[in-house]
Formats: sequence, structure tokens, C-alpha cells
Amino acid sequence: MVDLKNLIEITKKIVSREDVRYVVGYKKGTYGFQIMPAFAYTPEDAEDFIYSPVCSKNLAVYTILEEKLPLKRGEEEDKRKIGVVVKGCDSRAIVQIIQEKGLKREDLVLIGIPCKGVIEPKKIEKMFPNQTDLIDVIENDNSEYIINIGGKTHKVPKNELLSDVCKSCEFPNPPLYDVLLGEEVEITEIEEFSKIDELDEKHTEDKWEYWKRHFERCIRCYACREACPLCYCKECMADTLNPQWIRRSVNLSENAAWNIMRAYHLAGRCVSCGECERVCPVNIPLMELNKKIERDVKKMFDYTSGLDEEEKPLFGMFKPDDPEDFIL
Amino acid sequence: MENLVLSKEKLPEMLTEIASKYALFGPIEENGVTSFKHISNSQEINLDYLRSRISPKDLIFQQTETLFTFSKGKEVKVNTPQIDEAKRVIFGIRSCDARGYSILDPVFEGKREGDYKDPFYTKKRNRSTLIGLSCNKPEVNCFCTSFDDSPASMKNVDILFTDIGEKYFIDIVTEKGKELIENLGNLFSKASEEDGEVRERVEQDAINAITRHMNTEGVVEKLEKMFNHELWQKTAMRCIGCGICTYLCPTCHCFDMQDEATLKEGARIRVWDSCMYPEYTMHASGHNPRPARMNRVRNRVYHKFSYFPKNDKIFACTGCGRCIDYCPVNIDIIDVIAKVKEAKI
Repeated sequence: MVDLKNLIEITKKIVSREDVRYVVGYKKGTYGFQIMPAFAYTPEDAEDFIYSPVCSKNLAVYTILEEKLPLKRGEEEDKRKIGVVVKGCDSRAIVQIIQEKGLKREDLVLIGIPCKGVIEPKKIEKMFPNQTDLIDVIENDNSEYIINIGGKTHKVPKNELLSDVCKSCEFPNPPLYDVLLGEEVEITEIEEFSKIDELDEKHTEDKWEYWKRHFERCIRCYACREACPLCYCKECMADTLNPQWIRRSVNLSENAAWNIMRAYHLAGRCVSCGECERVCPVNIPLMELNKKIERDVKKMFDYTSGLDEEEKPLFGMFKPDDPEDFIL
Repeated sequence: MENLVLSKEKLPEMLTEIASKYALFGPIEENGVTSFKHISNSQEINLDYLRSRISPKDLIFQQTETLFTFSKGKEVKVNTPQIDEAKRVIFGIRSCDARGYSILDPVFEGKREGDYKDPFYTKKRNRSTLIGLSCNKPEVNCFCTSFDDSPASMKNVDILFTDIGEKYFIDIVTEKGKELIENLGNLFSKASEEDGEVRERVEQDAINAITRHMNTEGVVEKLEKMFNHELWQKTAMRCIGCGICTYLCPTCHCFDMQDEATLKEGARIRVWDSCMYPEYTMHASGHNPRPARMNRVRNRVYHKFSYFPKNDKIFACTGCGRCIDYCPVNIDIIDVIAKVKEAKI
């Protein structure tokens, strides 16, 4: 359990520092189980900060999302640090961006949270639909979530609500942080991301049928891209007009091109936070693509993304014994 | 007009009958996502939904529309595609989404002097008969009543079906609706006084089940003075800039036009655009009138609650709640408008 008082105190201290602009954390949302990203500019703002098992958002995205507008005459760029509350996968995303030189370590203050896994919003909203009032969720020591709704307490086994990606998470503790809140989490059991095996065994035609059904539904809202901390290209290949890699027409061919190209661009980079799948408004199982590539990368190159800021990114290095039997 | 009832057992028969005479569209569920699709077999339809994930806006204002095609070479041939002329029936549309069409009408139907009448939209719209289906169980973020509407509203449909237990109560609203019903033969029976009472009760229960409300009183005037308010920057800080709110919205209607070509032929297409994207209305010069996320978030709120009501005397929001449900960062339009009301200026 994350001690809330401790989280708020630490955030206050960090935000009071002269070299820090703001700290990004979580606060209560507007209804039901909702939480929202919160920005603390002052110690008072930090009073709203919370952390609970419903805090699934990967806040690392805010380190690369801010738009730098042209400076007005006489104006100087605010180069102070940004603070971010990070779980295991969020921290890995930041490590990965640092490896790729997209961020500088010294520009960040990281409040690390040893993560016991997060609740999948879609699952909890299905189990307890139509909640207008704000609801707190607590995890007890018995691997259960305690949910208090209208005076009635519900105990739900953790496994029923846990995000699928969390079930197969090997790195719940942030590899990079400045302050760590609480003790590191011990990894007890990891489930294999089983859907990949099922898909692997299928014939190519059946695989295509499967993905065709999903890609046909894509509405190209690019929520997967925007929610992803590792999609930070200044100009996305989906937006370029000359050459136009992906046409604007929304149809199976272009949708498939978009989704497959995005998956490949995340090869050796995806940190399995699951945000893309979580935000997808048409339920495309994007993590099945990402996990499959993650597994192949591990098998072929013995490489795991986002663990060591000093390491080189997978596609930024070459080893003489790299496998090459897949090269035509 | 006289009210009718249809026993639920006869619904498949009715749908089959409609499908044989018209192009029938209705809610279909795929992988947990409900959207409106062309229906050939009444079995496909799924009425056990509250609100379709994708709004039926795309049946009339398609996400991708081919405006014309052209060939390459010295003698360029331009072909205008045939616009779908089939008479359509959209079955199972909710009152909020039907209201969405009424909000889109002034944009595409060119009723104001000098406005362009869009043939793609108007042809599909005029050839569609809307059979509404009352909402019996509104969802947490439904707030249609805030716009003087109701889950069983007859305002924007041709016929309204209301589930009253064993049967559907049928309100025939327009001449178009009457024509359709007459075309379907002897499936219906007269509604009794009791049926009418049940229908009223169902509507009232649904209205009472709506828990969230938006107070729009004075919002247009307030927004006039809030263009530079800090609320926009504060809200935009957490916006990640995806297009979910605009693409799921039944009234968002911005589009982009592009030429897409292969080696031999090409097409000019119209696709949905989103004011949440940085390239939205970007000028060829490189100048961007809404350079920051703040400008874009503000634009979406202003378009719905200031510009649109000023031009067309109606808020461009139906209270369907999709943008609230699916926003990845809980930007909640009810909350935004409440903050507008509270804001000190």
C-alpha cells in the first residue's frame, strides 16, 4: 500500500523546489471509479494527490506530450524539471525514452511506486456499472480489492479485476526513480500472456481473419498513439503527407497498415503498460501484437526494453552474433 | 395519429419485412462494440444495448466518402460516384442520436442563404426513415434531459418504439413514419389505454434514472467573456490529443479532403477530421491557428456551446455522454460546463 500522506508530503517537497515546474500525479475523477491526471504547481495542489489500484494511467506520457510553442520576444524557455509519479512500467517507459535520447535524466524527478498491479477500468465498470458517486478502491493483504459502494462493502478477488498485462508483469518495481514510496514488491507468480500461444498456433489465413475483424473496426482516432509514452515522434508517419505512408481513408487496408506499422515501431521499445489497448474505444486487442513482438525480441536478441538508461536501444546497436535467418 | 403496439415475437418478422423493401440499418455488436450497420438478417440485430459505442452519425455523414474519382494521363476523366439512392430505415436509434442528425442538418443542408447543400448528406438523410427506440435504462453519463429532451423523445424520429414489457408501444410521429407502417401490413394492433399509461410510466422511470445533469443556462453569454480564462489551459494539460471525443460524438462534423491515388487512378475523398489533432486547419504556410492543445480543447467546447448556439440556436451537444465515457483522461464535458458556470471573470 502506498501511504497517501507520504505521497503528498514528498510531492509537496518536490514541487517546492526552485528547479521544479510541476509534478504530475493522480487525483480523483468526476464520477464512479474515474481518476484523472493531476498537475501540482504548488504544495497546495499536491493535497489532491491520490494513489490507488485504479490509477492505471501511464503518466510517463506527460513528459513528452507538452507542446513547446515558439517563444515570444524576450521570453525565455522554462527549463525547470518535471516531476512524475511512476509505477514499474511508467518508469520503464521513461528509461526507454532516455535511452533513445528523447529525454534527459536531469530534467526529471521521479516518484517511484512499487506496483501491485492496476485494475482494468473496463472490468470494474462492467462489474459495478453506472456509478455516479466517486468510489474508493483499496487492496488488502489477501489479494482482494475492497470496494465500498453506498455503504455496502464488496470484496473482489484481485485476479478478477486485474489488468491482463499486470498478470504477466515481470517488472512491478520502477527501475529508475528519485524517491521510492514504500517497499519493493516481490514478484510471486507470473502468468504467461497466453493469447499469443493461441494465435501462434493458428494458420496464417486464420490469423489474418482474426486481425481483419479487429482492424475493420478501427476508427483511426489515434488514442493508442497519444496514450503511448513511446509514441513521441515529432511527426508521426500516419500524419505525413509527402510521402503519404498511410492514407486518410478509413478502411481495412489503411487501418491494418496503421496498426501493424505502429506495432513494428514499438518493437524492442514497448514496455507493456497496456495503455493503447486500455484507451482503444473499439476494443482492438493491441497488446496481443505488442506482446508477440516483445516475446520475439526477447527470444532473438535476449533484449528487454526500458531497464537500464545506459544501455543502447535494440535498433541502435549491432552484435556480430545477432540472428539473421529471418533476413531474406 | 393513432398509437399501435407490436408484440415482441413479431419483431423479427417486421424487420425481415423492412429489409425486403428498404435498406435496413440497426445496432450490431462486435467484440463488445455496438455500432449501426447494414442488416440483411433480423437475427444480427442486438437490441440489448444502451447506447451504441459508435454513433449512427456515420450512416449519414460517413467517415470516408468518395467525392469523385479520376484517371491519370493526358485525358483525365472525372467520374462522380452514384450516391446511394436506396430508401433506408434506421431501426433502434436513440433519441440523443436522432437529435444529433437534427443538429447536423443546418451544417449540410444549406438552408441559410449562401450555404452549400451537401448532396451526400442530404440524399442519405432525406431517404432515411428513423425508427427510434426509447432508452429504458440510461447510463451513468446520459444527460439528454439537460437539453430539454427525453429518453423517449419523439422530437427527431419518424416512429418511436418503446419497450413496455411483452410488446413495443409505437408512436407514429411523421407522415414518413405513417407511410412506412402502412407499408408493413398487418403486424400491428391498436394500443389500449393501459398500453399508453405503461409507455408514459416507462418514460418517466427512464427520466428519473438519469442522475447527471448539465446546467447550460447563461453558458453562451458566459463563454463570451472566458476566451482567455485559465480553465482552458488547466483542462488541456491532461488532454492527450486523441480523437475519441470527436469521433464518437454524434454532432462533431469537421472533415478533411484529400486526393488519394494509385499509379492509374485516384479519388478525392472526404474523411472525418478532429480539432484535437495538431494538423487540424493547419495552413499551407505552416501557420497553425490553434498551435497548442489549449487552443484545441477550448475550440471543441466553444464550437458546441458558443459558436453553434449563436449560429443555429441550438447547443451542438445531445447529452449522449460518449465523450465522457471514453475519454482516457476523464475530461468530462458536464464538469467542464459546471466549471464554466463557476468561473470567476
